Amino acid sequence: MKAYGAGETRVVALDHVDVDIDRGQFTAIMGPSGSGKSTLMHCLAGLDTVTSGQIFLDDTEITGLKDKKLTRLRRDRIGFVFQAFNLLPTLNALENITLPMDIAGRKPDRAWLERVVETVGLGGRLRHRPSQLSGGQQQRVAVARALAARPEIVFGDEPTGNLDSRAGAEVLGFLRRSVDELGQTIVMVTHDPVAASYADRVLYLADGRIVDEMRQPTADQVLDRMKDFDARGRTS
Amino acid sequence: MTVLKTSLRNVLAHKGRMALSAVAVLLSVAFVCGTLVFTDTMNTTFDKLFQATASDVTVGPKDASGGDEAASRTGRPPVLPASVLARVRGIEGVESAEGTVSSSAVTVVDAGKEKLSPSNGAPTIVGSWSANAARAMKITSGAAPKGPDQIVVDADTAGKHHLRLGDEIGVITAVGTHRAHVSGVASFTVTNPGAALFYVDTPTAQRILVGRTGVYTAIDVTAARGVSDEALKRKVTAALGPGCTVQTAEEAADANQKDVEGFLDVLKYAMLGFAGIAFLVGIFLIINTFSMLVAQRTREIGLMRAIGASRRQVNRSVLVEALLLGVVGSVLGVGAGVGLAVGLMKLMGSMGMKLSTDDLTVAWTTPVTGCVLGVLVTVLAAWLPARRAGRISPMAALRDAGAPADARAGTVRAVTGAVLTAAGAVSLYLAAGADKASAGSGWLGVGVVLTLIGFVVVGPVLAGGLVRVLGAVLLRIFGPVGRMAERNALRNPRRTGATGAALMIGLALVACLSVVGSSMVASATDQLDKSVGADFIVQSDNGGVIIPQAVEAVKAAPGLSRVTEYKVLDVDLTTPDGVTTKNETINAADATYAQDLRTETVAGSLADAYRPGSMSVPEGFAGKHGLRVGSTVTVAFRDGRTARLTVRAVTSDDVVLDQGAMYASIDTVARYVPAEKMPLDVLLFATAKDGQETSAYQALKSALHDYPQYTVRDQTDYKKALRDQIGRLLNMIYGLLALAIVVAVLGVVNTLALSVVERTREIGLMRAIGMSRRQLRRMIRLESVVIAVFGALLGLGLGMGWGATAQKLLALEGLNILDIPWRTIGAVFVGSAFVGLIAALVPAFRAGRMNVLNAIATD
Repeated sequence: MKAYGAGETRVVALDHVDVDIDRGQFTAIMGPSGSGKSTLMHCLAGLDTVTSGQIFLDDTEITGLKDKKLTRLRRDRIGFVFQAFNLLPTLNALENITLPMDIAGRKPDRAWLERVVETVGLGGRLRHRPSQLSGGQQQRVAVARALAARPEIVFGDEPTGNLDSRAGAEVLGFLRRSVDELGQTIVMVTHDPVAASYADRVLYLADGRIVDEMRQPTADQVLDRMKDFDARGRTS
Repeated sequence: MTVLKTSLRNVLAHKGRMALSAVAVLLSVAFVCGTLVFTDTMNTTFDKLFQATASDVTVGPKDASGGDEAASRTGRPPVLPASVLARVRGIEGVESAEGTVSSSAVTVVDAGKEKLSPSNGAPTIVGSWSANAARAMKITSGAAPKGPDQIVVDADTAGKHHLRLGDEIGVITAVGTHRAHVSGVASFTVTNPGAALFYVDTPTAQRILVGRTGVYTAIDVTAARGVSDEALKRKVTAALGPGCTVQTAEEAADANQKDVEGFLDVLKYAMLGFAGIAFLVGIFLIINTFSMLVAQRTREIGLMRAIGASRRQVNRSVLVEALLLGVVGSVLGVGAGVGLAVGLMKLMGSMGMKLSTDDLTVAWTTPVTGCVLGVLVTVLAAWLPARRAGRISPMAALRDAGAPADARAGTVRAVTGAVLTAAGAVSLYLAAGADKASAGSGWLGVGVVLTLIGFVVVGPVLAGGLVRVLGAVLLRIFGPVGRMAERNALRNPRRTGATGAALMIGLALVACLSVVGSSMVASATDQLDKSVGADFIVQSDNGGVIIPQAVEAVKAAPGLSRVTEYKVLDVDLTTPDGVTTKNETINAADATYAQDLRTETVAGSLADAYRPGSMSVPEGFAGKHGLRVGSTVTVAFRDGRTARLTVRAVTSDDVVLDQGAMYASIDTVARYVPAEKMPLDVLLFATAKDGQETSAYQALKSALHDYPQYTVRDQTDYKKALRDQIGRLLNMIYGLLALAIVVAVLGVVNTLALSVVERTREIGLMRAIGMSRRQLRRMIRLESVVIAVFGALLGLGLGMGWGATAQKLLALEGLNILDIPWRTIGAVFVGSAFVGLIAALVPAFRAGRMNVLNAIATD
């Protein structure tokens, strides 16, 4: 559970959410604005703290970890792709990809790195600065960074939100492949039904609760469900 | 109106970001105002003092070179016979007249032979207790002096040295040493900044200061009721004829004030110069601040342009912000300036100079000057960023704000900077090679200014290369954090360049002065080693003369093989080419001086110059007037007759000690200058018998024990004293430059703080993907260190170049050894890296505290 403020101004963003994320699966979290989907992801990823309740990553309870340990956890076991501004403008693509490992003082696994880079399809552009890359390429670099350190889980916060549909499709396809081919676990927040259709499982959030879930969705199914929610929201 | 409103809101919205710029303006304005208030207050204090101590009309002896100066040369003040007093009393309009005797050519000691004279250069005056003195001073305990055993001391001196009624005091003059006991303590009715004053009765004053009765050093005349000072002066002048000087109270005060003002003006302009440097450094800070604020608001400004604001409106809105900043900084600065002045007065107080806050003088021009300067400088500094803001296209509103694009250091900039620097380097080269000091110093000045501007212009270009080198050397060990720090420092070369340049200015001056200072010490030391044959040098601590008793005491010390006396005489010289050179000096010494200071000659032998009727001239003077060995020079002694002396030697100008001196023997000049007008020695050189150096040094020290105003030094101690003296001077200048350096450090803090704000999202991202707070803080610290070290490298390099050039130029004046004080340079370099660390403290802390979620949140 996550609440902001106290007393009368208390706003409950997440209300007794109980969710398991499956290993090696692509999970999408959907919901209207203000439903708490971003908050849920931030809490799961150790970026935000919960008011009460527990979050486990594998066997590690991340709720209650101090900043230092949380930072290390994020560095070594979690990968991130944000909606925008994912890359440091001063570093080139390759340096951005290896940044989490550099920070940790670890040597990247060469073979793995090559495989990731290959999968992302950025071979010729590794020495480019972010400003020399298109939006889609930038997001792909961000995804490669999230995967390069072999995290246990990757969180995406609307990773295709700023992209046109073709570039978005590239990035989503790549995320899908990383689950299928590399066995990666991915959680993605999105409000785009097409994006959600790439996932194995979709969780629907409304008013801080999980109200529904869907396995092996298609874009149309997701869209229908969303319309359904909207209609219900309007009538209630 | 809208322009003003948006500007005002912007200033308020970004007051944190502008705070450091305001502090920079504040500091500079405070320094200017503080200087003005302080010097004005000193002026007021002295003015009041001189007003209080002047009588209606003062009659003094006619002496071209001035009473005090004459007294400081011969050890005895010039006097008027008592008959003048009788004549003055007979003049119509004179209410009363009193003869007074006073002299500043005195040293006063307590029973333990400790000096009671101030050590800060303020005079010690012993005088007769007159009606005039009684008007300006009030006896607070004891009684006025009566008889030879009584002396009154001023309250400040008594307090400083814990003197009580009945304590013994010794007055040492050229006449002899007189002992008396404190009979009273008197305090001034106005503030006495620092002079130590002692009063005895008139007959005693005559006896101990002049050596005979029936003479006065001045006659204080009080005008009868209804007679103006001017009228009285006319009557007295008419009655006495041209044998005396007559001054009204106002003239006397003005004459005294003029001496003080000369000194205060030097102080004032020197301090204002340093304030100017601080302003210059502040300009960089302000330019950087506004550039960053404009960059951060690119989108906002683009929007304003898109909805119809004109370039001029945008431009003006930035300038109005600068104006507001300037006004706030300046107004606060004026207040701080008054505080600074009070602080300076307190500081002076702790060094023995008493100033009262009652005399605090804030002329209306002071705040006006401060505010106008502060506002003008701020607005001028914001000019460039404002223009840049005006050029932002409406399209900027539509683009993603993100991080501002790299401001590429343009080719134009590189070329302009290189040309300026090259031109400056050529000037410096010309200065170093100049064979005339005057021409050379002109080139030096041009070179310094051009290279400075050149470096400032080319700085951003250099930043690229230098920061990479620094990164390779310093930052590699810090791994990826170091690399990111390097990239961040490189990200906006113009910003790094300007921040570094601000630091560069102060450090360049430090480096330059340290090179010149240490070259001075090295050259003088070298000259001492090479040319000084004497073992010991005796001189006065305050630049005064050595009284005959002390000379005798030195001569009587055991273990010495020779003692050389050395005097300086004022002369006017007429050379065979018909030219008369006024206000020259001849250094008269015993013939043994040729062994004590082995000055090279270019013609003749120096020993011959000490033969009767002979003299030596320096190379430059000889060349100018066509003198050679055997030429005759007409020498008009200021206090004696005119002599015709034959040139027997021409000395080299390539020396530090006694450069340009003309020598003659004391026996020669004694034939033309009457004994009572003969100046006393200014220096004594003593040489020990072989093998008795140590015991002779001890003997000399104990011989001078009765004369604490003189110090004997062997060569080692002399060199040390020289080094200490130059070291003290340099420290004082460094202290004043510290202001400029503080402003530059504020600039580094400012740049970092604004960068952190600008990179909020980046920092959030790094934290999100696992950079720890420590790593983040270290990254910002390293960036700061790189910027500071970059500035230090430029500054030290530039400064050493200037210093080396100045040394080459001054080699003409005998500064022939270049000594680069690597320890100082190294300390400054390490210190600047440390300063970089300190500057990053707050920005790094704030970056570490940044909330990750807020930082990465999209809008």
